[in-house]
Amino acid sequence: MTAYVVYCHPTQESFMGAVLARTLAGLAAAGHEVRLTDLYAEGFRPELSRDDREAHLVDHRREPDRRPEIGPYVENLQWCTMLVVVYPTWWSGQPAMLKGWFDRVLVRGVAWDHPDGTTRLTPLLRNIRHVVGVTSHGSSKWINAIEGETGKRTLSRSIRAMCSRRCRTHWIALYTIDRSTAHQRQRFLERVEQRISRL
Amino acid sequence: MRAVLIVAHPHPDGLTHAIARRARSGLEAGGHSVIVHDLYEEGFRAAMTAEERHAYHGDHPSLDPLVDEHIADLRQAEIVVFVYPTWWSSVPAVLKGWFERVMLPGVGFVFDATGKVRPGLTTVRRLVGISTYGSSWISVKAVNDNGRRTIMRAMRLSTGIRTRRTWLGLYSIDASNHARRTKFLDRVETTMARL
Repeated sequence: MTAYVVYCHPTQESFMGAVLARTLAGLAAAGHEVRLTDLYAEGFRPELSRDDREAHLVDHRREPDRRPEIGPYVENLQWCTMLVVVYPTWWSGQPAMLKGWFDRVLVRGVAWDHPDGTTRLTPLLRNIRHVVGVTSHGSSKWINAIEGETGKRTLSRSIRAMCSRRCRTHWIALYTIDRSTAHQRQRFLERVEQRISRL
Repeated sequence: MRAVLIVAHPHPDGLTHAIARRARSGLEAGGHSVIVHDLYEEGFRAAMTAEERHAYHGDHPSLDPLVDEHIADLRQAEIVVFVYPTWWSSVPAVLKGWFERVMLPGVGFVFDATGKVRPGLTTVRRLVGISTYGSSWISVKAVNDNGRRTIMRAMRLSTGIRTRRTWLGLYSIDASNHARRTKFLDRVETTMARL
């Protein structure tokens, strides 16, 4: 399969960097073809601008020049059968950088269409059959349940709804990282590689 | 009471800003003083930088004077109001960044002696969220309304269990007409005035 990995953390010299390395190792072990985007390293601008907003209903397929900087991301999204996002959970969801990537890249003509005269969205990322979230949470699973697991739901419900009808979501998460031991973190890294390689 | 109103929409002529203006008039009519923070106009940066990440668990996690200003206003506030459009079932990136960069350790939450997280903004008595949605109410519920959860649950863990919460949503805006919007704006103003 083809896997598109989107990595979101200010540095790769962090625990998330190790998680990314294991994710890539797992994908390589399974023989998947991989493309990687490191949002911070690329200096992606997460704020949706006034211009972006005015182009909200512009179909990207008809006017690709309207949003030139998202072109490479769109190409990767249309190429992959597996979308893998690797990020730390902050405030129960994706970091602003990754949320902004959703806001700015998953636009009309890329992730969805809005046929005239209807209010329902037509999904366009039908090529994607697996959505994978790999993340760490500072707080416990219990606190995240109270907060509503917003990052997980954004992936498994909102984003997945734009993918293939048979798309599956996979959630690989380490909770309570703030009070975890080195041994627990090490075991999580092994789990990441193992689960990814079995997809 | 003292209110802080946070607005997150790139277009000053849009519906979100119209809602924010009416929310402000409502609050003022109710005798509250209001400080408005328009995140786009202020040029608030969404993404936490590597330097900010490194400073996060230190003694001075804020490295940006604009963030300091937000923190100072928030510490005085008894009412906090968020006005934003829901995108991908959650808050816009710039507002998500506000949580990450302003609600820092020592501000939004504190660690007690045993290392447990405790609320940091115990002066906040009212939490209000006002959002517009492209989707219908039922679709919003089906995807978990993640922006609302972030404010009503995650943020509430920072203000304390006794904080009262109010939510106002305008759904299916892509199909909405002038009359529905006007009615919603009136509702925003009266609700804020009676807060």
